[in-house]
Amino acid sequence: MVNMLSIKNLHAGIEEKNILKGLDLTINPGEVHAIMGPNGAGKSTLGYVLSGRDGYEVTEGEATLNGQDLLDMEIEERAVAGLFLAFQYPVEIPGVSNMVFMKESVNAARIARGQEEYTAGEFLKLAKEACKQVQLPLDFLKRGVNEGFSGGEKKRNEIMQMILLQPSICFLDETDSGLDVDALKTVADGVNSQRSPERSFVVVTHYQRLLDYIKPDFVHILADGKIIKSGDASLALKIENEGYGFLGLNYVEEKA
Amino acid sequence: MSQWLEDVIAHAEQPASNELAATWLAEQRNSSLKKLKEQKWPTRRTEAWANTSLVSVESRNAKPTPANITSWDKPAIPGLDSIDIYFVGGQLKTDLSTFTLPEGLSIYTLQDEKAEAVAASRFAQIKPERHIFGLINDAIANSGVVIDVAENAIIDTPIRLIHLANDGVENHSRVLVNVAKHAKVTIIEHGVGEEDSVNTSMSEFDVADNATLYHYRFALFTQKALHVGGCHFQVGASSYINSTIVAFGSDLSKLNIDVNYTGEHSNVDINAMYLLAEGEAFDLQSTIEHAVPNGTSNEKVHGIIGDRARANFGGRIHIHRDAQKTLAQLNNRNLLLSRRALINTKPELEIYADDVRCAHGATIAEIDDESLYYLLTRGIPRSQALIMLNFGFIQELINDIEIDPIRAWLTDMLSTRFKSMEVS
Repeated sequence: MVNMLSIKNLHAGIEEKNILKGLDLTINPGEVHAIMGPNGAGKSTLGYVLSGRDGYEVTEGEATLNGQDLLDMEIEERAVAGLFLAFQYPVEIPGVSNMVFMKESVNAARIARGQEEYTAGEFLKLAKEACKQVQLPLDFLKRGVNEGFSGGEKKRNEIMQMILLQPSICFLDETDSGLDVDALKTVADGVNSQRSPERSFVVVTHYQRLLDYIKPDFVHILADGKIIKSGDASLALKIENEGYGFLGLNYVEEKA
Repeated sequence: MSQWLEDVIAHAEQPASNELAATWLAEQRNSSLKKLKEQKWPTRRTEAWANTSLVSVESRNAKPTPANITSWDKPAIPGLDSIDIYFVGGQLKTDLSTFTLPEGLSIYTLQDEKAEAVAASRFAQIKPERHIFGLINDAIANSGVVIDVAENAIIDTPIRLIHLANDGVENHSRVLVNVAKHAKVTIIEHGVGEEDSVNTSMSEFDVADNATLYHYRFALFTQKALHVGGCHFQVGASSYINSTIVAFGSDLSKLNIDVNYTGEHSNVDINAMYLLAEGEAFDLQSTIEHAVPNGTSNEKVHGIIGDRARANFGGRIHIHRDAQKTLAQLNNRNLLLSRRALINTKPELEIYADDVRCAHGATIAEIDDESLYYLLTRGIPRSQALIMLNFGFIQELINDIEIDPIRAWLTDMLSTRFKSMEVS
């Protein structure tokens, strides 16, 4: 079987600064992996590197998505190949309507798969359903992308995009940060509705609380650019109770 | 003094060039020629030319004698039904006698004695004297038309004036439009060129009380096609002018817009856009003279400047002492696609009345990397993402256009041009 996402000995950084220092991670279809770890460990960097953000340079190692070399693709090609990154801080883009943005995204993937593009009418129907599912008012479809959305609304908007795009692997970067309990549950329900034997998730979080709602198959601790410990859901509970101290890690604020 | 101007003046002084003109025109020409000879050829120290170099024209040998060109590319606007008049290489190429014009519309050649009643009191008198290329055009333009729209005439079919010059040729064409009281007309000035050429096309519009003018000026001159043109409007009472300007740039391309209010309660909207690629330059100078009370003007100028291109914009609003209750707005927005792209922008308000509302502003932006990254991570192709992020403020002006085929044609042409422009 081909692994869905396979990361081997990944070294990467930004502007001469090494952040990932030999990261290994294998994810099979249908699995949910949680990544926890102290600030500055490289969790967000992993998302940026996998998505291909400008400025992040891979110096060693490899990453494949469904057997294809992920690191060799353009950002938009990775998305079309099935990678979805839910942003920790989704970007506000005034002047571009949320609806147009999502329609262009979904149709880009459809064109790449050789499918017919959705018409405006067809897409509107799908978008309305997804919008209801994440409990956003329908007028959020007409507004500028994330324009004036609260923190929680932005995260719901990310999940709405995920539902519409139907990716094969979803990387959720601290999707729970800044959410109240109700919003957390809505977001988790949205994620759970998309769980399937063909789709995998990487859930980056600081808190075990999210994992009460999204049950992970595996929990990994990322520290200093490497996965230093892997386990099942009980590992997250242990961290919640004891902190990272038992791993020999003390909390260190990242130097600015 | 430039070689080119010397040639122009020598040509204008030849008796032969005046023989072609009607008596009324000959008088106007002589008057402008006299003023032209008193003017100094502009240098970079001349304020109106501080950011636009005349080097590419001044050492040329002028070719003011019309060239007899027999074939040329006809620029099409798909689906547009218009009355098309061609000026090519300084010659009027359209036989006006073949037209069956709607009632209330008359079109005369510049040499036609019948144009005198309309033209003698207007030609070269709506256009301010300070534009040196305006005086040049006065003195040597042989191809031109006088368009007269009678009182109460509503002309539905747009009139399209195509200004062309191909390789090595000059085109000095001239348009005078009189829109009488309660009349309505649409005039499209379509200038195109990419080969080594010089184009001066000047137009004057007298829009009478309660009249409406929809006006388009496409200055699509690129590469070696040099262009200095002007659109000059006189606005009567309770009238409306809507002008849309679209420009590319070349080694030298400049357009002067002048609006002079002579009657109260009139409204003028100007939407201008420029998309400059490679080493292109474009210079837009507008002057709005609110000389009477209760006038409204709204000017939006939006530009995208790529690579090594240079844009120069000057927008002056002059509110005279008596022009109380004027509402004037001017906004210039620019997007730079590269570190080497350049914009000089100078919105200028000069207000002598105390009860007016005016706003002006200019912004300059660059591509927002984070927004672009966000769109790319959703699978949107880069060229499409750039269009979505940055073409919106051009599209906004295109969307204001009343005529569907023009809107569709511009959306297609300008987005294609934008896609081909490199972001660096």
